[in-house]
Amino acid sequence: MNPADTLEEARRRIGTCDDLDALKEIERELVGRKGIVASLLAEIPKLDPSERKARGQEANALKQAILGLLKERREEIEAGRLDAARRAEGFDPTLPPPRARRGSLHPITQVTRELEDLFVSMGYEVLDGPEVELDHYNFEALNITKDHPARDAQDTFYCDEEGRLVLRTHTSPVQIRAMEKREPPFRVIAPGRVFRQETTDASHDHTFYQMEGLVVGKDISVAHLIGAMKTLLRGIFGRDLEVRLRPGHFPFVEPGFELDARCPFCPSGCSVCKQTTWIELLPCGLVHPNVLRMGGIDPEVWSGFAFGLGLSRLVMLRHGIDDVRHLLDGDLRFLEQF
Amino acid sequence: MRVSMRWLERHVDLADVTPEQLCDDLTLSTAEVEGLERFAPSLDDVVVGHVVSREKHPDAGRLSVCRVEVGEDAPLPIVCGAPNVAAGQKVAVARVGTLLPGDFKIKKSKIRGIESHGMICSVRELDIGEEHDGIWVLPESAEVGQAVSRALGIGDWVIEIDNKSLTHRPDLWGHRGIAREVAAIYERPLHPLETTLPEITPGTPPMDPWPVAIETTGCSRYVALPIDGVRPGPSPDWLRWLLLAVGQRPIDLLVDLSNFVMLDLGQPNHVFDRNGLERRGRGIVVRNARAGESIETLDGEMRKLQPSDLLICAGDEPVALAGIMGGEGSKVAETTGSLLLEVATFDAATIRRTSTRLGLRTDSSARFEKSLDPNLPMAAAGHFARLLAAIEPAARFPAPATDVGDWQDPSTTIELRGDRVRTALGKALPNEEIRHILERLAFEVEAEGSPDEGRFRVHVPSFRATKDITLEQDLVEEIGRIHRYGQIEEKPLHFDIAPPPRDERRQLVRHLQDRLAGGARFHENLSYTFIDDALLEKLGDLDLPHISVINPVVQNESRIRRSVTPSLLPALETNRRNRTDVRLFEIGKAYEPEHANDRGEPRERHLLGLAWAGPRPSKKAAYHENRLMRLQSILEDLVRSWGCHEPRWTAEGPRPSWAHPGKCLFLELEGPAGPVAVVADLEPGLAPALGLSGDLDSEVALAEVCLDRLLEAERGGTGYKPLPRFPGIKVDVAIAVPESMPAAELIGLIEEAGRRQVADIELFDLYRGRSVGPGRKSLAFHVLLQSEKKTLTDKDERKFLQRLGKLLGDAGGEIRGI
Ligand SMILES: [Zn+2]
Repeated sequence: MNPADTLEEARRRIGTCDDLDALKEIERELVGRKGIVASLLAEIPKLDPSERKARGQEANALKQAILGLLKERREEIEAGRLDAARRAEGFDPTLPPPRARRGSLHPITQVTRELEDLFVSMGYEVLDGPEVELDHYNFEALNITKDHPARDAQDTFYCDEEGRLVLRTHTSPVQIRAMEKREPPFRVIAPGRVFRQETTDASHDHTFYQMEGLVVGKDISVAHLIGAMKTLLRGIFGRDLEVRLRPGHFPFVEPGFELDARCPFCPSGCSVCKQTTWIELLPCGLVHPNVLRMGGIDPEVWSGFAFGLGLSRLVMLRHGIDDVRHLLDGDLRFLEQF
Repeated sequence: MRVSMRWLERHVDLADVTPEQLCDDLTLSTAEVEGLERFAPSLDDVVVGHVVSREKHPDAGRLSVCRVEVGEDAPLPIVCGAPNVAAGQKVAVARVGTLLPGDFKIKKSKIRGIESHGMICSVRELDIGEEHDGIWVLPESAEVGQAVSRALGIGDWVIEIDNKSLTHRPDLWGHRGIAREVAAIYERPLHPLETTLPEITPGTPPMDPWPVAIETTGCSRYVALPIDGVRPGPSPDWLRWLLLAVGQRPIDLLVDLSNFVMLDLGQPNHVFDRNGLERRGRGIVVRNARAGESIETLDGEMRKLQPSDLLICAGDEPVALAGIMGGEGSKVAETTGSLLLEVATFDAATIRRTSTRLGLRTDSSARFEKSLDPNLPMAAAGHFARLLAAIEPAARFPAPATDVGDWQDPSTTIELRGDRVRTALGKALPNEEIRHILERLAFEVEAEGSPDEGRFRVHVPSFRATKDITLEQDLVEEIGRIHRYGQIEEKPLHFDIAPPPRDERRQLVRHLQDRLAGGARFHENLSYTFIDDALLEKLGDLDLPHISVINPVVQNESRIRRSVTPSLLPALETNRRNRTDVRLFEIGKAYEPEHANDRGEPRERHLLGLAWAGPRPSKKAAYHENRLMRLQSILEDLVRSWGCHEPRWTAEGPRPSWAHPGKCLFLELEGPAGPVAVVADLEPGLAPALGLSGDLDSEVALAEVCLDRLLEAERGGTGYKPLPRFPGIKVDVAIAVPESMPAAELIGLIEEAGRRQVADIELFDLYRGRSVGPGRKSLAFHVLLQSEKKTLTDKDERKFLQRLGKLLGDAGGEIRGI
């Protein structure tokens, strides 16, 4: 074949090749070590010397031309591939992705953590206390003697006939346990599970969660208590809420208060606040001198305030949960939502 | 407690005080107001009518056609069915459009052809009484056309105060006590109340004071006043209306008056029939019950008594359960006019114990258990007698009141420092204001030292001194609440405090929660501390020692769990019904009473329970797709990420009742004496009992981790290892061995064959089948060979495989493929 025919043939083959591997094969056949161009060059020494130069130039030109065609075609194929890759054929942007599966933390855990973090940032220590508690800590040391009518308000689960062991009715026993092991000043909180012997319904459960707070220091006053409670509410609701303090009787504080906050859910009355625009949130007060004494702290030198926050109630308020029993009945359809 | 505003006005002027204002002020200064309601609101809509004429209905003999003047242009025609309606009467008329209780709207109607433009009401239709025999006939003086409430002067507001907010205030269990607070709040005088006993009118022969003997410490004062000449009959209207307003049904004069005095002064009292007493024995004896004694109380119940209970006896025969309820035999006979009024002070704790034990809570016991002022009985007797004498002119008091008992005046004096008040409230209240507030509350205040010193001697009146006010701090509360806490400006807390100590337990809890709810995709559950007896029975754990409550809310749920994982079991069925894959964990406390400390506190354990249920894996599933192994790897992740290394698995350990007898493993760590965790398949026998059979047939893997032990485990950084300097060779090798050879032994052989060049071994397949032959299994491993000194070559790999082949041959195994 003469060079011109060879080039024509090469142009045809290269031009119709769509595949890089096939193109490599063509390259090998045409310009490879044993290819057509090589065989042309191999014949040159057999030629008349006068022809050798021209034929050599001719073969080299052919090789260059073929290499040029190959390069061009290679680039075309690669570009085509990229174009193909860039086409989004069969892609449906509205196709739902596989369901994201995840675990969850209980809403009580979530709110407890938030509050713990808030209080730890203010120098409070987080304490734990037993759920099966001595009567001494749950009542006696909290200034609630055996026949105190306040025991009525705290329907108690008793663990023995003598009434030595009870299921704690509040997180307040941790106050005494904290005082026994610490030198003032100190600040502690104690979240945990508490129990009341009462029949359950949508708004009452015999098991629920509270968080106790106790601050002991010098000259602690009602004014400090109000300040601390406002900070707490800001942490919970993310904004300042108007509060009011009214008398509330708890034997372990004196004076004792109920702290109401302006209902965060309505401007002028709703079902949460029972149309009053106030929600009762925090029983609190100055620690009773007898309680300080029971904890081994001299009430002439030290004073303090304590508060209790209903965590179950807070969780219900926050998420609008209509039945408290969902919190503890282990239904994934509930748990998955948090 | 229900408080009537009209009743309060007997004691204090309420002019210009709206009911809403009063509720707010009581809430902010005194006690929690739970509600405010209008008394008998229908009486505000029903008007006084004058029956001008009454004729028989032409077509119905039992109906009357009345013309009733109601202050409008013309009298209204009203058809009335009551037998007692008569011309000339003043009656209560519900006109057309009036809404009566029970959502009953009065409409114009035609009754047997005669138009009727309203209704003449009975007391029952107005919800103020039971009588329905006839219409309610109003007094002659009632002004026609006026609302009945206004015409009779009985419009009232009733304030409901939360009893729980009054447990420390025996003085607030009567209207006078509330009025005293109101007087202090509004700085108005409390009207004086005359309570001296009326004069004695001795009969012939003159009567001695009624003998009373107190033979118990449970009664500190007993006042007994004989009364004669009271005729049975209803109470006067003013008394009936006040009782109705606070929800007490009027009965007859004596019962009503007894209730009135209790609701007025807060002092319970009881009226005995003297003839009845005399038949049983002369004289009242207050004593403790004897073992085996019982009494039939007025409600008809036979009550078994204990020696701690107090009895009022006539002679030796019980006639009342002291301070709680009269005996069936103490009823006042209708015809008798010869009575004995009892007003006493009983020990609060004694009354409370008896009333709680018998489940018998009465208005009387509720008051006694608050510690009543022992000064009250004589005042209450005087109040009763004076009211009775005013209502019933025939009443006589034939003998002086008996007044016995070893009581002491509880009134006391407390030193008060003005500075202490200011420090505690955080407000600079002037001494003068402190003094003024206390005086408004009926405390007597004397300044000590110079007037500016701010030291006071505060005399606490007896009605506040029985329990409520005993300390300086109690006076701080009095000052704070009347001054109003809302007047105190908030202050920030300032004091130096060290950062709280590192709390490992809390960090561990958070670590576990995050890890499980995160990558492991478990849901955190919280379940009850109580565990169902039926579940314990299924588990065979009923005989284990448990803390139990003696008064459970749910029958058979009295036991407190000793372990957390069983609490998760009942949740599996419902969840499996709704979800294919159920992964739950719970961190909670559990109690072991057999390990109580010397104070009697049971050992508390902090446990993590895990339950993972889902469909069983297919036969073709890889060996590690079963939940047990996956849960094992989750547990390894939990402890490794907590910083514990070299977790070891062993089959030796205390197997829990829920665990499969064979598929049960224990996780051990360096440090604690005993396994940190147990992981197991569910014991197959439990599946049907848990509802996990049939279409809910499940593969269930369970685990429990002891946080207390995990906290004892050694932790440390993983330690940095220099990166390998020479590339390693990855060799995949499948090995067939007899079924009996444990994987650990095989791994040991691989390590031995590698001569310290084995950098990693990972099992990736386990196969049993025809190609390995019966009684044999094939395990395939990725083995990484690596040297610290040189780049390993094919030759090293061949040598390794040769050595391994030889070791295997000795152990009855072989290399199946590489
Ligand atoms: Zn609201």
